[in-house]
Amino acid sequence: MQVGARQMTVARPENEAFEALFTAEYARVVGIANRVLADAHEAEDVAQEVFIDFHRLHSASADYAPAWLHRAAAHASLNRLRGARRRQKRELAQATEEGERSLDPQKQAELNEDRRRLREALGRMAPKPAAVLVLRASGLSYAEVAQALGVGVGQIGTLLRRAEDTLRKEVTRGTSN
Amino acid sequence: MAHLTDGALRRMVDDPDAKVGADAAHLDGCADCKARFESIAGDARSIAALLAVPDVRVDVQHAYDRVMAAPKAQPALGFRLPMLWPAFRPVRLALVAAVALFALVGFAFAASGLFVQPTRVQAVPITLNDVESLSQLAEYGTLTWTTQPDLRITTDAAEAKQVSGGITPPKVAKLPAGVSSTLTYAAMSRAVATFKFSAAKAAESAKAHGKTLPKMPAGMDGATLTVTIGPAVGEVYGNMNQPQASTKASQIDLPQLIVAKSASPTVTSTQVTVADLESYILAQPGISPELKKTIQAIGDPTTTLFIPVPVEFGTATSVKVQGVDGVALGDNTGVGSGVVWIKGGHVWAVAGSIKQSDAIQIANNLS
Repeated sequence: MQVGARQMTVARPENEAFEALFTAEYARVVGIANRVLADAHEAEDVAQEVFIDFHRLHSASADYAPAWLHRAAAHASLNRLRGARRRQKRELAQATEEGERSLDPQKQAELNEDRRRLREALGRMAPKPAAVLVLRASGLSYAEVAQALGVGVGQIGTLLRRAEDTLRKEVTRGTSN
Repeated sequence: MAHLTDGALRRMVDDPDAKVGADAAHLDGCADCKARFESIAGDARSIAALLAVPDVRVDVQHAYDRVMAAPKAQPALGFRLPMLWPAFRPVRLALVAAVALFALVGFAFAASGLFVQPTRVQAVPITLNDVESLSQLAEYGTLTWTTQPDLRITTDAAEAKQVSGGITPPKVAKLPAGVSSTLTYAAMSRAVATFKFSAAKAAESAKAHGKTLPKMPAGMDGATLTVTIGPAVGEVYGNMNQPQASTKASQIDLPQLIVAKSASPTVTSTQVTVADLESYILAQPGISPELKKTIQAIGDPTTTLFIPVPVEFGTATSVKVQGVDGVALGDNTGVGSGVVWIKGGHVWAVAGSIKQSDAIQIANNLS
């Protein structure tokens, strides 16, 4: 096997393909990580690690490239979430949506507490339903979620429902407001 | 008609187009399903609200430059393959079996470099970090195929038998319900590869990855490992359409059941003992303590075929198959399963999107 020769001949198109893949998918990969971590800086860190890992082993022209990135983003950020629950309180406070600024402080505090608990619960969940939920919430279609996680598209509804049911039970207060 | 499933109702929440036909008619007329739909929709809304985050504004060019400047962004194996990504469950299991059976390049020395002629199988838990560390071993020398494998996919059993040097494809006594009887054979001829260790290449690789290597055992520089794999023959039940670039993953028909039989792989080495090699490999930076412990606990690595089980994706348990010890594999969702064992000088594997009990049943009744 002439690895060296092969590497030389493919190096340039590979880098071009990787740049195109990066440009097309970076924002979405950051979005997935941010959905989990609710922290823009940390989400960008995760996204960049995901791209580096991908680039080390995979060809950017592989069919599965976007699906691989989405899955890796979900898993890597969920892993971080498990290791970083303590930091969440502060970060979630910053993640408040514009429209909620008018909420009274009591309501706002409750909402933040629910968000913190939701993410804690997400970190405790089995990886697959957690990833389904996160990817879907990040705007991926059912087909894209199925592709990323290697499950049949017909299972996505069931997995989503199961994840939401689990989370609802864990976050009991204030969700109906 | 039966009530709608939670999954179907959940899908209707996201996709109004899913509310069509018999399902929609049922929902309209069924108070029970309507109530469940409302509750499912309510949960979906509240969870979505709690997961809401402000959009991140990204500077793509800046991020790209950072990624490209990272030393780790270099190819791990010296080259990149558009290889099959094991996302799809049965394929992933098949891949686990394939790692054991066909000892893929790169994994060859990681997963199977430690044995001489295995007579038993043992599962070893392996993490993605382990895979990454082990895959770098491929950079510590030069791999040469002295006999290239001939790989053949065919619907003709006689052709498969011929390519695999006379190994008769195993016969499944009874297929589980729901498994297609469409049958494709895959055969591989015997292949021999040698790997020559080089201290210089190892040092170069370590430098490139910013790692400190353990000291190579005496005599390892220039030592060669000769690995023989196959011949092997396999049967794939179900449609084997190759994924096309334009095909959505959801439309690919995955093989439901794979049965494979391969001559036990052999490894011989010059200048270096199995014990030396084992301790050198386990001393590589990044190898998890779990993997070390498991391998060190194995009495005689020269007669053991390690089945790497990615802990992120799967589980492994010991089972009796055809009177010998085997390893039963399962993926985390319990939908796919497989079993691997060694008997009569052959490695056998059964894997697919079937129940584990079915996999063991098939294994016990193979002829």
